[in-house]
Amino acid sequence: MNDALIELRGLSKNYEDQQVLKGIDLTIHRNEFLTLLGPSGCGKTTTLRIIAGFEEPSGGEVLFDGIDISKIPSHKREVNTVFQKYALFPFLNVYDNVAFGLKLKKMDETMIDHKVKHMLSLIGLSDYAKRDVTSLSGGQQQRVAIARALVNEPKVLLLDEPLGALDAKLRKGMQIELKKIQREVGITFIFVTHDQEEALSMSDTVVVMNEGIIQQVGTPEDIYNEPENRFVASFIGESNIIEAVMKQDLLVSFDGYDFPCVDKGFKTNEDVEVVIRPEDIDIVKPEDAKLKGVVKSIIFKGVHHEIVVEAEHRNYLIHTTDYFEPGLVVGLSFGPDDIHVMYRMDWE
Amino acid sequence: MKHYNKLVRPYLIWSVLIILVPIIMIVLYSVTTGGNALVNISFTLKNFTKIGEPIYLEVLKKSLVLGFVSVSICLVLGYILAYFITKFKDSVQDLLILLVTIPMWINTLLRTYAWISLLSDNGLINSFLGLFGMDAKTFMYTDFAVVIGLVSDILPFMVIPIHTSIRKIDRSLIEAAQDLGADKVQTFMKVTLKMSIPGVINGVMMTFLLSISTFVIPKLLGGGQYMLIGNLIENQFISVGNWNFGSAISIILTAIILIGLTLMKKFDRDDREEELERAKNK
Amino acid sequence: MQRTNKRSKVLYILYIAVLFVFFYLPIVVTMVFSFNSSKSLTHMTGFSFRWYERLINDGSIMKAVYVSLTVALFATVISTILGTITAIGLSKNKKIVKDVIMNINNITIMSPDIVTAIGLMILFSSIMMAKGYMTMLLAHIAFCTPYVVTAVYPKVRQLDPAIADAAMDLGATPFQALIKVIIPMLKDGIYAGILLAFTMSFDDFVISYFVTGNGVENISIIVYNMTKRTNPTINALSTIVILTIAILIVISKLVPSVLRKHMKKLLAVAGVLLVGLAIFAGTRSGGRTLRIYNAGEYIDPELIEEFEAEYDCKVVYETFDSNESMYTKIKSGAEYDILIPSDYMIERLIKEEFLQPVNWNNIPNAKGLNKEIMGMPYDPDNTYSVPYFVGTVGILYDTTIVDEKDLSEGWELLRDEKYKGQVYMYDSERDSFMIALKANGYSMNTEDYGEIEEAYRWLIEQRDSMDVVYAGDDVIDNMISGNKALAVVYSGDGAYIMVENENMDYFEPEQGTNEWCDAMVMTKDCRDEELAEAFMNYMLDPEVAERNSVFVGYTSPVSCVADTLAATEFEGISAYVPNFGAPKNEAFGYQEMKLKQHFADLWTKVKAY
Repeated sequence: MNDALIELRGLSKNYEDQQVLKGIDLTIHRNEFLTLLGPSGCGKTTTLRIIAGFEEPSGGEVLFDGIDISKIPSHKREVNTVFQKYALFPFLNVYDNVAFGLKLKKMDETMIDHKVKHMLSLIGLSDYAKRDVTSLSGGQQQRVAIARALVNEPKVLLLDEPLGALDAKLRKGMQIELKKIQREVGITFIFVTHDQEEALSMSDTVVVMNEGIIQQVGTPEDIYNEPENRFVASFIGESNIIEAVMKQDLLVSFDGYDFPCVDKGFKTNEDVEVVIRPEDIDIVKPEDAKLKGVVKSIIFKGVHHEIVVEAEHRNYLIHTTDYFEPGLVVGLSFGPDDIHVMYRMDWE
Repeated sequence: MKHYNKLVRPYLIWSVLIILVPIIMIVLYSVTTGGNALVNISFTLKNFTKIGEPIYLEVLKKSLVLGFVSVSICLVLGYILAYFITKFKDSVQDLLILLVTIPMWINTLLRTYAWISLLSDNGLINSFLGLFGMDAKTFMYTDFAVVIGLVSDILPFMVIPIHTSIRKIDRSLIEAAQDLGADKVQTFMKVTLKMSIPGVINGVMMTFLLSISTFVIPKLLGGGQYMLIGNLIENQFISVGNWNFGSAISIILTAIILIGLTLMKKFDRDDREEELERAKNK
Repeated sequence: MQRTNKRSKVLYILYIAVLFVFFYLPIVVTMVFSFNSSKSLTHMTGFSFRWYERLINDGSIMKAVYVSLTVALFATVISTILGTITAIGLSKNKKIVKDVIMNINNITIMSPDIVTAIGLMILFSSIMMAKGYMTMLLAHIAFCTPYVVTAVYPKVRQLDPAIADAAMDLGATPFQALIKVIIPMLKDGIYAGILLAFTMSFDDFVISYFVTGNGVENISIIVYNMTKRTNPTINALSTIVILTIAILIVISKLVPSVLRKHMKKLLAVAGVLLVGLAIFAGTRSGGRTLRIYNAGEYIDPELIEEFEAEYDCKVVYETFDSNESMYTKIKSGAEYDILIPSDYMIERLIKEEFLQPVNWNNIPNAKGLNKEIMGMPYDPDNTYSVPYFVGTVGILYDTTIVDEKDLSEGWELLRDEKYKGQVYMYDSERDSFMIALKANGYSMNTEDYGEIEEAYRWLIEQRDSMDVVYAGDDVIDNMISGNKALAVVYSGDGAYIMVENENMDYFEPEQGTNEWCDAMVMTKDCRDEELAEAFMNYMLDPEVAERNSVFVGYTSPVSCVADTLAATEFEGISAYVPNFGAPKNEAFGYQEMKLKQHFADLWTKVKAY
């Protein structure tokens, strides 16, 4: 996992007077399933398009195996893309769509035939070779798009929100299938999505982006459990984000109480922010906890209840399997592990 | 797609040379005297004031009246035809529309000649009338002949856009209107007619454009005395040789057309905006 | 409900049928009369293919078909390519570029043909570009391309921009992506563009008419210049054109899949045809050429062929519909070796130094020319002009309607209310004013504005009281058919009509009339004086002159020919023997620009009411 395949260095991109990428530094490894995650307009698709060669960066470089490729046109890159709406060629059938790239390479006919058939069987569409692509369902078109890209044996497959157009159930299936395909072909996948759940469930590495800046790079667990700032914390899952002061190492103060925690290395009395995930808060008897509040609402969510407790300084969001009557006075308890301290960011 | 931005350049250069330059030259000719020789050129507005003479105003008026009459006839005949065609099933509609289109592809001159042999004093129509013991009538060199020739030439341009817009109307709209208690006439007035306005506008624009600038049809069917703007321009360039005046008339003709088209487009837009407004208020 | 439905269906069908009759009647009539065994366009006398034979044997028509086809093909190919790449490039351009191009497009589509035509004509003349095939082709590309852009652009806008990216991502160069992906995706728009461009180009008359020259004519122009003597040859041509277009449309509309599948093959065939035609046309030229510009239907075409054979040369023969349009062509830079205009126009051409003197030594047949018609005022010593046909202007009348006694009224016969609605005037400013001036007893070359004003009144009064029709050359057909009782005609046309309709007779009023002479002149641009003079000499050869005179019906300037024919072919045809030298007769003189303009304005006022 340690050998770098693609390195982005100080990548920036301007459209007229608007800066959409503000210096991206990122290393992508071989065989990695990397996801660019962020809200729309964060620059994730632009980053992908620069790697694909559809856009030229305004500044910085793209190293591919150590060589700068930012000036090389897309058709000469060992990278293939699966597009958001698939961009299949409607005037060609399934077979010819998949064979398109190989035919351009002037590959031997029998070789093409062999590869295309192999790829169609990989995606389970062997019987559909002569079908018109427009007659296929969304999921099938998706597979053809993946096959069309993979048959060229790229070193990197770029996927631009490929599951966006599918319905919820099909999406889940495709997530699993994509991961499976990635393991089978053993190449790097760079996946762009705004769906955090999709990102967490499929990726080796997640890159969270916002406003043209990388917010955090890490494994899905890191990102979820150790968000580096308020943006990451709020974008990934639900959380209680609380302004706090770091009294000293291992001690943080908020809502009028000091709490022991596991974080250190902050300055004394530094302003910080604290994240506590809703499922990490336990509801206990009022006398067993420092923080107390009144149950304001409770909504059944299937596996758990979503409870809002109104405390003195703020409302806390809690996920629990137990049921509590609204109006009940309760205590809120969490251990040092459950408190995650972050640097405070200035949001303008 | 940005790779293809440069593809417009050949046409940009081409159109400047062969479309814009001629227009500029027409304008130049219209405000100068000195005939075709560019040696003793001098600026003047005389060419335009000359159009103000009663006789040329008469020509303008006649062209406009003829244009108005032919467009109106086309609108009535064409709308009904387009509407009736939509009453048939799709495959028949396609065939009928194809049949409306075919004459459009056949040379206007050839069809106009055919009208001459039909309309002339002892032509086919008069022979036909003779079978019923009716006296021969003079059709040639009358307004009637010119209008007939013109209408048969431009009617398809009216039928096709109207048919397209009526055909596009969602069946459920008509059903909804009927469901809400509109009878056939009300449904037609409130839904079909309303929804087909863009097609009507297109058709009126095309036929107006063609009828106002024609010169071959009036010349052949109306005789030498049938002087319209188009004939006047042809006359100035080909017979009289006064290119300056001819250019000035051309500019007036273009201006009339531009004004006409702008008015119609505006009417179209107002109508749509009105509709939008109403939709919002609901 | 069921019954009303059925009833309304019948109404629909009836209405549609009536309008379709209206659409197709002219087309059917055209086709039917192409098989007529006689010349008439109104009475079917029998079935024959003679007009098709004549069509195939008529070199100028076949050449026009060739011009129409190749110009349409080249213009279609070029404008389709240009329009398609423009439409593709347009979609991703800045708004300003887009607006500029779309507006230019709209200008071309929305401006009337005639304005586009004169714009291009002015352009080509001012850059001194020789008018002909090239100018016609450029003009056709100019007006076809905007239609292609309009047909293709909506399809480009519907295109998913990722499609091009996808192709390049899969290894296509931008050019390959264009050819292999984008263009196939736009094919519906492109087909529509091709169809539009081809038919627009193939059918065009107005623009071609203004921008062409040097003998290059397409079908429409030939048809337009044929008005003089309409005959079913046009119908035969129309029938072929109509059938071809109908078949093309039916194929392209009803069997699109077939067309698409075989598009490549079809294109290949079209390409081969094009090259073949080009080679065919190329092989026909070569050697000496003579470029002649004559009035429509004013020569026996066989004579040209025989001349070509005899002198081993190629004759580029082009026709005009009036002296004035010929003048405009010459003035705007068209080049010919020989022109055959009328007297007053020759005088103008001499004054404006378009002509060069003829070497009479090279025209031995000139000895046979009628002395009476030599040395007329327009060219007193015949330095420049060799007479071709001569005649007068007179009144043709239907002997079954017009009372012989009324002929003594002279030109006033044309204002005799007994014959209201029965008069064709000739749509020519000079001839009409000549009549009015002569009727008032003035010289037809007067420069006195008072006299001209009186003549103008005469014409206005005539117009208002008589319901006259100002006919062009169609008067010939109309009088052959006996549509009206009186017509002002040239003596030659009168002779032609009288041969076809024995009820007609011709007379020249004693108030005097126009004695005219159409003559061959050599331009300063002439490239082969020797050949030009050989042609002039050839036309004066008694045998040639006789055949030509018989074919056209005009009086030959060669005395012995005129005398012989008056006694044989044209026996009893008074119009063939015009009364030259009558005391009050005159020939037209040159008019200064100002006077000419004055007449033109007055004439416009007479006609436009």
